[in-house]
Amino acid sequence: MFKKKVTLKILLLLITSDILETAIHFFFKKGALAEAQFSVVDMPSALVFLKAVFSSPFLWAGLLTVVAVFVIWSTILSKIDLSVAVPIASFSYILVPVVSVIFLHEQISALRWMGILLILAGVILVSLSSKERIAQSK
Amino acid sequence: MREGLLVTLFMISLTSLCDTINQLFLKSAIDSLNFGGKFNFVRIFKFIFQLLIKPRIWLSFVFSVISLCIWLLVLSRADLNFAFSADSMHYIFIALASRFILKERFTSLRWLGTGLIVTGIVFVSLS
Repeated sequence: MFKKKVTLKILLLLITSDILETAIHFFFKKGALAEAQFSVVDMPSALVFLKAVFSSPFLWAGLLTVVAVFVIWSTILSKIDLSVAVPIASFSYILVPVVSVIFLHEQISALRWMGILLILAGVILVSLSSKERIAQSK
Repeated sequence: MREGLLVTLFMISLTSLCDTINQLFLKSAIDSLNFGGKFNFVRIFKFIFQLLIKPRIWLSFVFSVISLCIWLLVLSRADLNFAFSADSMHYIFIALASRFILKERFTSLRWLGTGLIVTGIVFVSLS
């Protein structure tokens, strides 16, 4: 029952979903940055900020990308097992910080990179365990 | 700075919690349809229609909107690389919810993975 074979087409879909996933977070962050003139200190100022962000084209670009990723991801999962797809798709855990450094000029210390790698390893183990669980119940 | 970090982490855990509730409603709505077997376009449309008339789907939608709003507030005060990494704490909530609410069985590999994610988040937050 396991669909494990990663064809070139699926690999391209996975890479596309990685890049789009990163784009979602980039767009949302850009949307928040564009309205940085509002300082959020309490509930009313938070609502003013949110209203401004929801009229930002970046936010809607992000939401549109969410829909695109959902469609691509559904296609991927209809062709391949989750435990195979997630580790390849987790590339965005590296891609988002890289994009943050290059395009948003954020700084990442060595300790934080280590934390990111630990999270990535954890995500891969969790997704591999879904295969193990199904194999056990067989 | 230290207090700011705690507030940010608290807000990130709120989004993660909303995401988890959203996933639970989604899972419960989909499970209640007993949808299995072959997929084709007619069945997929029927599936989506049946899903859309479930109140739980709309609850799930409400929680994802709340989650998005809090996420945008997080992004207004935190670096993207930090927020994105710390947001993986939804893995912890999902693990707890799957184990104790959905009563799913867990393997040691899954606990190990969840533990690594927790350690990673601590590292990311300390730096």
